[in-house]
Order: sequence, then C-alpha cells, then structure tokens
Amino acid sequence: MTDNLVIVIVAGLTATACGLLGPFLVLRRMALLSDAVSHAVLPGIVSVWLVAHTRAPLPVVLGAAAFAVLCVVAIDALRATGLVASDAAIALVFPALFSLGVLGITRYADGIHLDLDSTIYGEIALVPFDTISVGGVDLARAAVVLAVVVLVDLALLALLWKELTATTFDPEFSSTVRLRPQLLNRLLVIAVAVTAVSAFEAVGAILVVTMLIVPAATAYLLTNRLPVLVAGSVGVGWIGAVGGHRLALATDSSIAGAMGLVCTACFVLAVLVSRRRLILAQLLPSVSRGRIVS
Amino acid sequence: MAGLTDSLGALLGLPYTDVVVLLGAVVLGVTSGVLGAFAVLRRRSLVGDAISHSTLPGVCLAFLLAGAKDVPGLLVGAAIAGLAAAVLMVGAERLGLPADTAIGVVLSGFFCLGIVLLTYIAGSGNADQAGLGNYLFGQAAGLLISDVAVMAGIGAVALATVVVGRRALTATLFDPAHAAALGLRVRLVEIGMTVLLVVAVVIGVRLVGAILMVAMLVVPTVVARQFVNRLHQVLVLAGAAGAVVGAVGALAATRAQLPTGPVVVLVGVTLALVAVAFAPGRGAIWQAQALARRRRRSRDEALLSDPHAPDRSLMDRYRRTTLRRRGLLADDGSTLTPRGRQQVEDLSERRSLWSAWLAHGWRLDLPDAREPDPHDLAGSLGPQALDQLRRLAATAGGTR
Amino acid sequence: MTPAVHVIENVATIPSALHPAMDIRGLTVSYRAAPVLWEVAATFPAGQLSAIVGPNGAGKSTLLKAALRVVPADAGRVRIAGIEGAAALDHVAYVPQTASVDWDFPITAGEVVAMGRYRAAGWFRRLSRADRTIAAQCLERVGMAGYARRQIGQLSGGQRQRIFVARALAQQARVLLMDEPFSGIDTRTQVDLLALFRELCAAGDTVIAVHHDIGQVRECFDWALLLNVRSLGCGPVASVLTPAAVTEAYGGGRGLAWPA
Repeated sequence: MTDNLVIVIVAGLTATACGLLGPFLVLRRMALLSDAVSHAVLPGIVSVWLVAHTRAPLPVVLGAAAFAVLCVVAIDALRATGLVASDAAIALVFPALFSLGVLGITRYADGIHLDLDSTIYGEIALVPFDTISVGGVDLARAAVVLAVVVLVDLALLALLWKELTATTFDPEFSSTVRLRPQLLNRLLVIAVAVTAVSAFEAVGAILVVTMLIVPAATAYLLTNRLPVLVAGSVGVGWIGAVGGHRLALATDSSIAGAMGLVCTACFVLAVLVSRRRLILAQLLPSVSRGRIVS
Repeated sequence: MAGLTDSLGALLGLPYTDVVVLLGAVVLGVTSGVLGAFAVLRRRSLVGDAISHSTLPGVCLAFLLAGAKDVPGLLVGAAIAGLAAAVLMVGAERLGLPADTAIGVVLSGFFCLGIVLLTYIAGSGNADQAGLGNYLFGQAAGLLISDVAVMAGIGAVALATVVVGRRALTATLFDPAHAAALGLRVRLVEIGMTVLLVVAVVIGVRLVGAILMVAMLVVPTVVARQFVNRLHQVLVLAGAAGAVVGAVGALAATRAQLPTGPVVVLVGVTLALVAVAFAPGRGAIWQAQALARRRRRSRDEALLSDPHAPDRSLMDRYRRTTLRRRGLLADDGSTLTPRGRQQVEDLSERRSLWSAWLAHGWRLDLPDAREPDPHDLAGSLGPQALDQLRRLAATAGGTR
Repeated sequence: MTPAVHVIENVATIPSALHPAMDIRGLTVSYRAAPVLWEVAATFPAGQLSAIVGPNGAGKSTLLKAALRVVPADAGRVRIAGIEGAAALDHVAYVPQTASVDWDFPITAGEVVAMGRYRAAGWFRRLSRADRTIAAQCLERVGMAGYARRQIGQLSGGQRQRIFVARALAQQARVLLMDEPFSGIDTRTQVDLLALFRELCAAGDTVIAVHHDIGQVRECFDWALLLNVRSLGCGPVASVLTPAAVTEAYGGGRGLAWPA
C-alpha cells in the first residue's frame, strides 16, 4: 500500500465521518457551533498530554469530549444570563479555549511534538509513517482511529435516525413526545468533538470544520430528501479528498487545505447548477434598480 | 515619528519596541472595539469571524500577485478579500442556505484557499515571505511604527465616519424597518456598517491573527453593554475597553515571548466574563442572588401558609429554622406565632389584592402607564390607586 | 389560614365514570415578575369538544405549554387523564401554532405524520408495519392520502395543518391539545377539521383547542374555559360564555359608564 493511497484513505475516512454528521449540523443550525467545538478540542489534546503524558487515542478523545462539552456548556451559560447574544457567546468561548491550547503548545512545544501551524491544517503527509499493529498487520494509526469513528457515526445514525430527524425538524413537538432534543444535541456535539479530535492530526482544526459544513451545504442545495443529503455529503467529501490530494501534489501545498478547496469548488458548482436561473433573475433586477448587494 | 515614540518610551519607562507594540495594540483595541460594536449589536459577530478568516487568502494573493511585502500593502489585499467575503455571505444566504451555514461555508472556503496559498508560498522557497504566517495567530514583534501610523490613519477615518453618521447608524441599529419607513437609506447604512467591520478586521488582524480576531470584535462591546445603556456611551466604553485589553495583552505577550493573539484574547475574555458576572444591577451574580431571594420568599410563604405540612427538602428545613429565628414560627417549628399569623394575613391580603387587580385593575384611575409589582401593590400603584382598588373589589362583592 | 384559591366551576357535571381529560388546580406561571397565569383552576371532562377562549395575552398558549411541561409552573398542578407528571405526556397529543418548524427541511408529509408513532416505537427501533399502517390511516382521515410524498414546504397552509393534525392522531392519545388550529387556514379545512374533532369526541377522545372565534365556539363546541390570566369560568359553553362574562373577560367596553 503506497503512502499516497494511505493518505487518500485517511482523507476519505475523515470525509465520511464528517459527511455523516454534517447534514444534521446544517439542518439544526449548528454549523458555527460545530466550528467552535472543533476549536475547543485543541486544549483537550494539550491538557491530556500535560496531565497524563500520553497521546493515545482513548484518553485524548475523552479529553477532547470533555472540552467540547465545556465549550457548549459555557456558551449556554453565557446565553442564559440574558446579557450576551448567542453568536457573541460563541465568539467569546471558542477563541478563549483555542488560545489556551495554543499557549499550551507554545510553552511546552518540545514535549508535545505539535507544531503550531499543524494545529490548523494538520500533517496528513506524516500519517503513513505512524503505524500500529492490528492483528499482525501494520496500519496507519490515524486510519484505524478514523475507521472506528466512522463505524460509531454510522451506528449513531442507524440507531437514532428517526429521533435525530424528529428533533431536527420540530424540537417543540419532540419534547412533548419525550424524544429529548437536548440530549440529542449534546450527543451530536460529542460526536463532532470525537470526529474532530480523531481527524486532528490529519487535517487539523479548521479543516475539520470545512469537511463538516461545506459538503453538507453542497448536498443541501441539490436535494430535498434527507437520506440523499447524507449520501451526497459523504460523496462530495470523497471528491474533496481525492481531488484535493491531487491538487496538493501538483502545487506543493497543504493537502488538507486543498481538500477543503476542492469541496468549496464543488459547492460553487452546485450553486451554479441548481440556481442558475435564480441567480440570473436576482442579479438583473437588482442591478437595474441600482441596488448593491451588501 | 521616531522622536514621538522615543519620548513616549522615556515617559513610560519602556523600550522602543514595546512602545510600538503598545501604540499598535491601542489602535487595534479602539478600532475593533468601536467598529466591532456594529457587528455585535446587529447579531453579526460571526460574520466578523468569517471576514477575519478571509483576510488570509487576501494577504497571500497581495504577496503573490502584487509583490506586496510590507504591512500596508498586504492589508489592501486583506481588505479586498474581506469585502468579497461579506458580499458572498449575503449571496449564499439568498440561495436558501441557513444563515450560519452561509457564514460557515464562506469562512471555510476562503480559509482553505488561504492555507493552500500560504503553504504554496512557503514551499516555493520564496525566502521573502513577508511574515505571512503572522496573520494566523498574530505577532506584535516586527511591527513598525510606520505600520502603526497607517493603521491609526485608517482607523481615524473610520471613527470620524462613525461620529459624522451617528444618527443614521443609531436608527438603523435599533429598528431598521422603522428607519426605512422614515426615509433613511437603510441599505446603504448597512453596507457602510459592513465596510466599517472590514476596516476593523484589517487593522487588527496583523496583531491578533485571523483565527482569534473575532474575539477582539466582540469583547469590548460585551464589556461596555454591561455598564452603559446608550449607544454613544457603549461606543466610547468599548473603545476604552478594547484599548486596555489590547495594551495589557500585547505587552504581556511580548514580555513572555508568546504569540500576541492568544494572550490578548485571554485577557479580553476574562474581562468580559468578569463584566458579565459582576455588572451592577444586571450581572449574572446579581441575577443569581435575585433568583435565590425569590425562591426563599416563595418557600417562606408556602411554609407559613401551611406550617404543618412535612418538609420536602433540606431547603424547607433550613427555611423553617430561619423562620423560627425570625420569630414567625414557634419553637416547635409548626405553629405560627402572633407575628407569623400577621405575616400570613398580610400575604393573604396581598394575594386578594392581586386578584382584585386582575379583575378590576383596568378600571382604575392611574396617572400614568405604571405596572404593579405583585409583591408590593401599595408601593407600585400608590395609596390612592390602592384605595380605589379596594373599593371596587368590595363593590363587586369581593373577589370573583 | 390558607390563601384564597379561586376554584370556579359553573354548573357542570363531571362524568364520574371517567377521569377528566384534563384537570388543572391552582396553576400559576410567570415569566419575569408579573404572572401570566394566576391560580387557574379548570376541569375538562372526557369526550367533550372544548375550547379555551380569552383576549390576547390572556395566557392561553402558556396554559397549554404548562400542561405539556414545556414551560415551568410556579405553583399548581395539571392532571391529564388522571395522571400527573411527565408520564402524562404519553396520553396527550399537541398541535402547536406552527411557528417553530423549518419548512425547508427535507421531509415529506408522510414522514411528518409517521413522527407521531416515534414514541410508541421506542428508542433505537424502526417503525413497524403496524406503525406505518396507522400513519397511513391518519393521513387518509385528514384527506391527505395522496400527498404523502410531497415535501412539507410545498403544501398550502390548510394542507400543512391537516398534516400536523394527522401527526397528532397518529399518536393515538386520548387528549388532543391544539393551539389556534383554525387560524390562517381556508374555510374548507376549518370545516373538515371541525367535523373530524366532533367525530373524535363522539368516540370518547377529548379535543381541547385554543380558539379566537367566540361565535364559533358558542355554536360548535360543548365545553369552554374563559381565561384572562385567571379562570373566569369553566363549564358548558352556554353557561360560561354569557355576554356579561365575555364582556368582563375582554376588559369591558369603552363608553360604558362605571360607577366611580
């Protein structure tokens, strides 16, 4: 198995894990909350290292989940005071948590083997060289972890499909039939955190967000059926994984960044395809009326 | 310029570089504080986040295409990218995407482009990279006094615009529909506010970094809102708060040799949390106390109304002890003392007064549009109104 | 000495064989300082087409939400079909004023109705064939059988309301609570829904609807609660909705001289 293939597989697994969750985040208006949570996993990783001197997957995932819950709880608490709007609350909490993580890395950089820039866009090129032995076969650690995460995400969707759908569509109805919309929200947040931290080394913090939101948004423009939305979201993610890898090799740039860029290109294509007539109709009248789109 | 800086340095006892950092941080703080208010007060804080992230490809393209190498040149690229992002976000929302997804897509798309360009530039062996990496987490070191002068100049123009246009801005912020009905060109004002937001981001992004800039837009306004209520006061206080946070954070970062952005953000968010918690009369601590007071009073009233009922919780037992101490309950804890009986009568009278208010309140002759406080009808309505209410209730045969 | 509790029940005979569909005692709900509902007491017998009427701001929607435990109550209790607490939710179906829904959501009318069976199906399990049959029958009962595959956003106001009523029917609850089911929909849907509600009540279920049209309540409903922050009467429509009571509830008239 060549290194390049391993990289593409890891990228594709990331896209799958993100693509399964993304549609629900978009539909529940949680896109920016998931952005915040992805940033919040950094202090989780750093603190697990500082406290337990380990980067083994399980404790790191637990630490990341803990900080993700802290992030959401803090945002909710600020909102509950009635003194801070919900978007302002998000804009306060995640930069603070992320800053804690960044400062932790800078101060203890030697111990943690984490380069500051890679927290943002990962080091997927190194993934093939970090292997563990599974049943006698040497596999890339990131690939194994992400495969597990994908399975967990699939299980989540399979078991809770109707609960997720109902609480996303009509939270008020769901609470009157005791479907626990709040609990499912928390579950989604934890799923995002687990996915974010598992993909962290490969694609970094910012690009997890891209893979969560952009493919789902692309599929959102193209279909009216929820199962197709989920499948499409995973599909666009894979296009980004494969295409991005090619682009990065050709331009000698960040693989993760290129993946996100290709997904964005898919989004632009979807915009053109689905709303071509709508855009034209909107542009012409507004230009002729002298209005500027602000 | 250097002379001014030197004399400031002598005055404050700081070396030259620190003075440059300080001045830059103050400019950042004031502009992001004042101009950021127009995002926060319109619930557009995260639009500011997307604009901040979009500056990364802007500076990279300015470097690649125009060969810009100094801060002012790069900031032009940042500004263009920021404006493009603002336009695209509105476009994305028009397509039917939920608002937060539109912001997220633009943020992610632009930032990925920025990362690709950044790594391409770094990998292309171009030694003269103009410190582009500083735009990620911010870096006060390496800032020139001339850079600060440019930032201050742009900031001054922006602030002057705010002063000149304050009436239009206030009207549009508070109630755009009403302002439009008055004939105000609300569209233009909103575009203007977005441009001001881009200016704030462009000025600050070199010091605080694209990722964390949004916190600097939000912190000063959140702090200011806890203490003052009128827009011009909010703007002034936000500018001051921003300057203080920026100065303290930037100096601390340079002393400790840490990246500037995270330190400034932590200082700022701490200040914001303190303000939210301790704001006089409205802060979180005050609210918690008021809630606890209401709960205590409600438990006390229930206990006095039915002193023989068994305790349902630890709180009940504690309140019973307190009532005993206050002389409202006898020592056995379940009989009323004379004072306790009086209290219960007062309570009962208050409840029937409230019912009377519900039944007959609309008939009262009140001098103004006052609203009664259920726990203190006498105080909130005034003695004459209260007498009237009692008479009306008696005439109507008591409470219905 | 107990504080005065306003228990106002006009001439009303509660069928003793059945628990009342909904029984409210001393309910007080406040959002900030002033109470929105004050010591409300009301009983709704089973099998009666019931309405909750009152002016704007009277707390009618809040009453439903407090019964459904969506908003917390300061005092008092609500029993649904004789059961108190969260367990009561299994016996009540709710049709809200349809504000909180995302109309762009990728879901069909049939899938919305099927949501009514989610609670019965239980966590983690798929809907059984019986569940799907029930959902289909409810869809048919509201006249929307042919629209199962239509995306919810493509339906008209009246059609959407039929779908949400069908979802409530699919829950097979004994008590249906509805918040302004007739507002903003066409006349034919109103007529059809009213006929459906009468059928349900005749079969022993109870429909309790917040309704703004007092004339229609007088003509078509059996039981009424007149509400304006506090209960002003709960019983058969004719005895509760007297002209005097309605005038008082809606704040009296201007131009009427009141003794000083």
